[in-house]
Order: sequence, then structure tokens, then C-alpha cells
Amino acid sequence: MILEAFKWIGYAAIAYFVVMQLYLVLLAVVSGFALRNTYHLGRFGRVTEMLSSKTSPPISIIIPAYNEAIGIVDSVRSMSIVSYPRFEIVIANDGSTDDTLKRLIEEFDLEHVRIPYRPDIATATVRAIYRGHNAVDITVIDKENGGRADALNAGINAARYPYVLCTDADVVLDADALVRGMQRIVADRERTVGVGGNIRPLNGSEVELGHLVNASVPGRLVARMQVLEYLRTFLASRPAWSAMHALPLVSGAFGIWRRSAVLAIGGYKAGHLGEDLDLTMRMHRYHRSNDIPYQIVYEPSAVLWTEVPDSFRVLRRQRIRWHRGLMTSIRDFLPMTFNPRYGALGMVTWAGFFLFEYLAPMIEFIGWFIVPTAFFVGALNTETLVLMLLLAFGAGLLNSLASLWLDEPYGYFNDPKSTSRLIIMALIENLGFRQITVVWRIRAIFGGRGVRGWGNMERRGVANLATDS
Amino acid sequence: MSGIEFLRITVLVVFSLNGLLALTLIVWKALHRRRQKGYERRRVAYLTLLSRHLADPDEDLEMSPMVAEDQAFLDALIDIRTSVTGAESDALAEVIGSYGVMDRYARRLGSRHFRIRRLRAAVALAEVADSSRAGVLMKALDDHDPEVRIQAARGLGRMKWTPAIDKIVDRFSIETPWVRARFSDTLIGFGQKATWPLVAYVKVNHRFETAGPTAAIRTLGTIGDQDAARPMVEVLEQAFHLEIQLPTIETLGVLGAPIAVPHLEALMDAEDWRLRAKAAGALGDIRDVSAVDRLALGLTDRNWWVRRNSAAALGKIPGGVRLLYHAISSADPFARDAAAEALYDAGELIAARRRVDQGEATPNDLALIRLIAQEEVLAS
Amino acid sequence: MADDSETITTLLETALVARGYEVTVARNGPDTYEKGKTEKLDLVILDHLMPGLLGLEIIEKWRAEGIETPVIVLSGVDDDRTVVQSLEIGAVDFVRKPFRLNELMARIKQRISG
Repeated sequence: MILEAFKWIGYAAIAYFVVMQLYLVLLAVVSGFALRNTYHLGRFGRVTEMLSSKTSPPISIIIPAYNEAIGIVDSVRSMSIVSYPRFEIVIANDGSTDDTLKRLIEEFDLEHVRIPYRPDIATATVRAIYRGHNAVDITVIDKENGGRADALNAGINAARYPYVLCTDADVVLDADALVRGMQRIVADRERTVGVGGNIRPLNGSEVELGHLVNASVPGRLVARMQVLEYLRTFLASRPAWSAMHALPLVSGAFGIWRRSAVLAIGGYKAGHLGEDLDLTMRMHRYHRSNDIPYQIVYEPSAVLWTEVPDSFRVLRRQRIRWHRGLMTSIRDFLPMTFNPRYGALGMVTWAGFFLFEYLAPMIEFIGWFIVPTAFFVGALNTETLVLMLLLAFGAGLLNSLASLWLDEPYGYFNDPKSTSRLIIMALIENLGFRQITVVWRIRAIFGGRGVRGWGNMERRGVANLATDS
Repeated sequence: MSGIEFLRITVLVVFSLNGLLALTLIVWKALHRRRQKGYERRRVAYLTLLSRHLADPDEDLEMSPMVAEDQAFLDALIDIRTSVTGAESDALAEVIGSYGVMDRYARRLGSRHFRIRRLRAAVALAEVADSSRAGVLMKALDDHDPEVRIQAARGLGRMKWTPAIDKIVDRFSIETPWVRARFSDTLIGFGQKATWPLVAYVKVNHRFETAGPTAAIRTLGTIGDQDAARPMVEVLEQAFHLEIQLPTIETLGVLGAPIAVPHLEALMDAEDWRLRAKAAGALGDIRDVSAVDRLALGLTDRNWWVRRNSAAALGKIPGGVRLLYHAISSADPFARDAAAEALYDAGELIAARRRVDQGEATPNDLALIRLIAQEEVLAS
Repeated sequence: MADDSETITTLLETALVARGYEVTVARNGPDTYEKGKTEKLDLVILDHLMPGLLGLEIIEKWRAEGIETPVIVLSGVDDDRTVVQSLEIGAVDFVRKPFRLNELMARIKQRISG
């Protein structure tokens, strides 16, 4: 009898993973169709037309900054020459303790001014406001420390244009990322309230003067694993979710939002560890509860490069933070899970998050003990066990390879060597990397130390990244 | 089939698929890289070739019609056409046309080819903008593919083919926002010739729908033809949809039409704050001195957007700056701040600081600088 | 000839060489600044929006170091402020993109001989 129980639990544990991987494969297939549609259209002059159009909507780029003295000037400078007819840059200095503010003022000839700053969203105290207009209108909000979400809110308060791009300092925007993102807005201005971009790890790639020269696969395995992870989600999941009107997350590093919508829902939630997930889901909930026609889309060609953790220590902090943020959101939006009133968002995406992101670490962790035990007491048929494990592994590999294929048209990693490195990474991922992330996430459930605040990585500045390989 | 047999087969299928994907991926990348290098080489070659001809039109252009098949050629052509304008560029287009390249494109557009090829043909015809192809493009305005329609309109705009204007405007109501936006661009390119068709369209349709007329009204503003001002004022008087009124007000501002000033001033007494705010903004754009007094009143409006727009407007109008300095000592903190912002935008703040440095500060300068230096906690 | 767009540099280099000029090309801000300092140039055609250092900043730095090479700013940035600023800073001319090739060539000829 106990044997029976072990048998079912054992198989169920593995079957869980098979189902999870197959869900992802299905998403990958849907993504494939969605991407095919948008890819070809992107090649035919749309970008140039929007750039020279006088009707392109203006946008405010919001950059929250905390102790970014090393890279802030380069970052702002490279953003100021981004291709777009009309935009401004708003930097929220979140009580930096280094000379972030001083460098900004000096480099960009900023003047201390006074503007009718209206705190539509309540934030930590704003101390002063600076403005300048060299190449582009720059506004700096100097405020007391309140965290990233708080800083973003202050920036959004001060933004002058109807659309905002929430991003980070120390990222590298693709030259046409902004146009391509805004193109989705223009395509359906009435309904589109949010556009998410494509985040790619910068590690190991050549960066010159704030621009990406050549994308390479990072040398360190920690970073390389993340390249695969990001590819899987940004190419094999998000396009599908977006096509189903069920995009759960517009990444904090690149999110275009209609300003009035952000204000309507009270802005980012300060102190929340997953403020971007929270904002996106609240956007969904607000519009659906109020029966407002809307859409939040994902644009795969709006690319942004960012430094990802290249040591286990920093990665651990990040993953614990992410999981805690996820846990909070799962709790907050529990009524949506499997709720047909929320359409594909509730039935597919959020259900998927609950089942495969939230429950996964727990089930996997328990599985590590149950399955071998069940095997050793003879409850599991050896061949069946092996086949099921192979199936789970094979489907996971299928996901990674599918993601690499979906990435192909975008032209990165264009040589066989890079590709083979990534394929090999996909094979060895399961030999420890995945397992570590599970341990971290279990840790997150029981409270992680020192994971509040910015989760700041040691900023080395974008300029120095080329030396890492 | 038993469960375990099914399992065996599935595992086999999955791993074969994996093997296939991995192998083809590597092979594809290798091939693609070569293809990419070839593309780049050809693109630069075409670029150099076309540049040489531009630099010296007497030099013979050696080109076969087969370049029409090459995306690299099209990209090089587009690049050049977006960088260089004028007679030489047009001459370039003609020369290319004489090689029969355009014939190929035109034929392809008329057929039911693969979408990508048709799109490429449409883009090429739009780029080269040879008026002998106008007929083909006029027909393409009815194409079932929205992207082709956009390119057709673009091409007709570039060749300034005026009969196309009516046809494009007629489509405003039935097109999607994206296509409409690109059509607007084309109409803007036509300039004043598009004014009356657009005006006629707006006058007929603004009572029944909003999306098309709104786009048309905005387009009129960007075209900037003063002749549109009077009809727009009439539309403003007749319209009762906010969605029509707001863009009309904006357009009157962009046009800089003094005849609109009395109407805009009247709107500053409207019930809806959005009308008041937009009117204030438009008055600032028109820069008519007579509006200054009404805008000064706007500084005390109950809605903060109106106050802000009024301040900004005063900053743009000659004589308004004087009133802004008054507002700096207003009891209303928001009006004070709005005035300070407008003064900065008008360049007054920097000038004031410079005067202070040189020891020539006026009382107004000191008041402004003192206001900004206040350690006031920005109200919540 | 300084521009981050390969099309522009190829186009202008070809055109200038065809008319008998010697051309040095730079593709980003710092490189342009360096070349202006180290090489003997009769004229610089400068794009404003370049990575690393903006065109106008480069002109400012040159003038501050006593480098008086005449500069024609060639830029897609259209607003009056930039035009006025560039002339104030020391550029001799401002040409908007898209430009007319023959016109640009004529201006160049005039600035070099003049």
C-alpha cells in the first residue's frame, strides 16, 4: 500500500516536470508563429518612417539612479543620441551617496530650477530639481532614498510626455529600440498601454562608447547559463503570451507605459521586490475590472543589453529577490489563477506561473528525496523511471534549442562556435546550475537575508565589461 | 500500444528532434554567416557604385536588372535616398529605372507573389519614386496588404502625384491607426495641396466619427497651411465631441492662426478643464499679444493643468514674461512654480544668474533666484 | 569626414575623392577629436550625433585648444537651437540632412579655397 503511494507520488513528481517542459514547448511553438509575423515587417523601412515622422508621439525616458557615478554620464549620453524625433530624459537620483548628482550637473550643464512638480504618486521627499538642454532635454530629480520603485514614481511624476520608458542606468539600448517599441504604440494608440522589450545579457560582449559592437557568448558559465535562460523566456515564452493578450511581465529594464495609466493605478509599489511584475499585473487587473479595452504587448525587436550577475554570490541574491517578489505577486493575484474571467492571462499565463514557477522549487526539492527513495524501495519500474527522466530532460533541451532557433533571425551569435557553446550549455545546465537555483528559491521561501533594496550588483560600468570573458 | 512503448517512442522522437535542431542550427549559422558577409560586401559595393554615380553623373553605371533580386541593393538604395535629396538623387533614380530594374518590381507588385517579395517591390518603387510608375502605385493603394498600401502612398507622395491625395484621404475612415498614421506622413509630404481635401473630409465626417477626422485635423496642423485656420475655427464652433475639439484647438495653435484667438479665449471659460488647458496651450503657440491678459487670469484657474499651461504660454508671448515675474510672488505655490518653470524655459533664469554674477541683478532676478533656492519641501 | 553612418561616409568619401580631395574618415566622437588634433586638416565635415562625444562638444574642445580648422556641421538634428549653437561655437556652416550633394560640394569648395 505504501508502495503504491510511493509509486504514484514518484511518477507524479517526474510527470510534473514533463508537463512543465511540454507547456514550454507549446509556448515556443506559438511564439514561433507570433515572431514570424512581426519579424518580416520589421525589415521594411518602418523604423525610418517613424523616425522622420512628425506624428510620432513624444516619450519621457525615466532612469532611476542609485550610486551610479561610474557609468551614469556615459549611460545618459548614449541615451541622448538614441534615434527618436522627440523625447526627454528624466533621471531620479535616489539619494545617492556618491557623486552621481554632481557628475550629472557638471557634464550636462544642468541648472537648479523650480517646476510645478506634482506628486501624483507619493514618493520620498524630493529635494531639488535640475534641468538642462544640451542634446536633449534632461531633468534630474534629486530625492531622498526610497528604492527603485519610488525613484521611478518620482520620475514619472516629473515626466512631461504622455508616454514613459522605464529603464535602468548602466544599460545599453539598441539604437532603434525606442522606435521599435513606440511603433507598437502607434500601431494601436487607443488600446496599447504598455510595451515590453527584449532583454539580453551584455556580459562578454564588446561595448564601445555606450554602444554594442559585437554580441558574444560570455566566457563564464554563470553568465552563459543566464543567456540561455533569457533566450528561453524572451523568445520562446513572451511572444506567445503577448499574442494571447496575456503578457504577465513587462521587464523593469525596458517598459514603455502610457503615463496616465500608470498614474491611474498609483504607480509602482515602493518596497516591492518584483515591482515590474506587480505593475504589469495591476495594469491588467485595473483595465479588466473597469472594462477598458487595452493591450499590453511584447516587442522582440526592441532590444536592451544589460549586465547580468557573473558570480554565484550576486546571482543568488538576485534570484532570491525575484522569487520573493514572485511569491508576493502570486499571493496578491491569487484570484486570477485559473479564473476564466481573466481569459488566457488567468487560465494560461498566471496558472503557469503558479504551477511551474511558484510550486516548482518545492516539488523539485521534494522530488529529489522522494524519487530516489521510491526507486530504492522498488516502487518504480527502472525503465519507466529512466524514460520519464529522459523525457523531461529532452523536452527541456528542446526548449533551449527551440529558443536558439527562434533567435536566429535576429542575427546575434552568428558563428558556429558561439552556437555550439550555447548548445553544450543547454546540455550541462541540468548538471548543477538548475539545481542550485532551486535551492536558492527554497531559501527565498524561508526568508533571504539582505535582499531588500536595489539588490545592487557591483557596478563596473558598461565601459569595463569588454575585459570580462 | 502500452504505456511504456508510447514512452519509448516519445523519448526517441524528442531526442531525434533535438539532434536535428542542434545540427541544423550549427550548419545554418555557418551558412548564414557566409551569406551575411556576402550581403555586407555587396551592400557596400552597391553603395560605392551609387555614390560614384552621384558624384559624377557622367560616369556610366554598370548594373544589371538582376539587382532587383538583391535585398542588399534595395537597402543601399534606401540608405542613399534617405541621406541625399535633390536633383542628383532623382537623376540616380531615373538611371536605375533605365536599367529595367523598376520594370521587374512593377511586375512583381501586380502579381500574387510571396508577400515579402511584393513588399520589397513596393518599397523599391516607393524609394525610386519614378512618376512613370504612378499608375501601378495608384492601383496598389487598394491592395489587400496594409504594408503595400503604405508604401504605395509613400511612393506617390515622394513623386508628388497629386491625384493620389483624394484617394488617400478617402481611405482615412477605413484604415487602421497604423496605416492612417503613415498616410498622414504622406499627406504632410504633399504639403498645401492636401489642405482642401483634408478640410473637406473633416467637415463632412467630424460629426459621425472621431478617429479619422482627428488624424486629419492633426495632419492639417503639421502641414501648416494657414488656409486651414478658418475652416478649423468653423469646425470648433460646430463640434461638440471633446475628441474633435481638443485636436482642433491644438491644430489652431500649431498653425499659429491669430483669427482663432477670440475663440480660444472664450474656451478658457469652458466647463471642461481639458478644453481650458488646451486653449491656454494653443494661445501660447499662437503668440498673440492680445491673449496675455486672459492667460494671466488662467494662472489662477482652479485646475492645475490650466495654470501650468497658462504659465508656459506666457513664457512664449512677448510681454508675458512680465506677468510671470508677478506670479512668482503669488500666494499659490503651484502658480509660483509654474511661473518659475516657464521663466527657465524662456531663458530668463540663466540670464538672471549671469546678471547676478556680473553684479547687474535686477529685483526680478533676485526674486526668481530666491524662489528657486527655497528649501521648501515640495508639497505632497 | 566624421559620421557614424557608414552610408554617409562612403557616399561623401567617394564624392570627395572623385573631385580630387584627400579624405580621412572617423566614425565616432573621440576618434574625430583625436584626428582633429593630430592631423593637418583643411576642413572637417562633422555629424552632431555621434557616439562618445557630440559634434558640438568636439568643436568646443578644439577651439579651446586653439585648433581653428573650419568645420561644416552636417546633421539630421533640425531644431534652430542646434543650428545657432553650432555657428556660435565656431562652425562655419550648418547643412541639414538629407542634403543636396552638389550643394554640399559647392560649400566645401568655397570653404577650402576661401
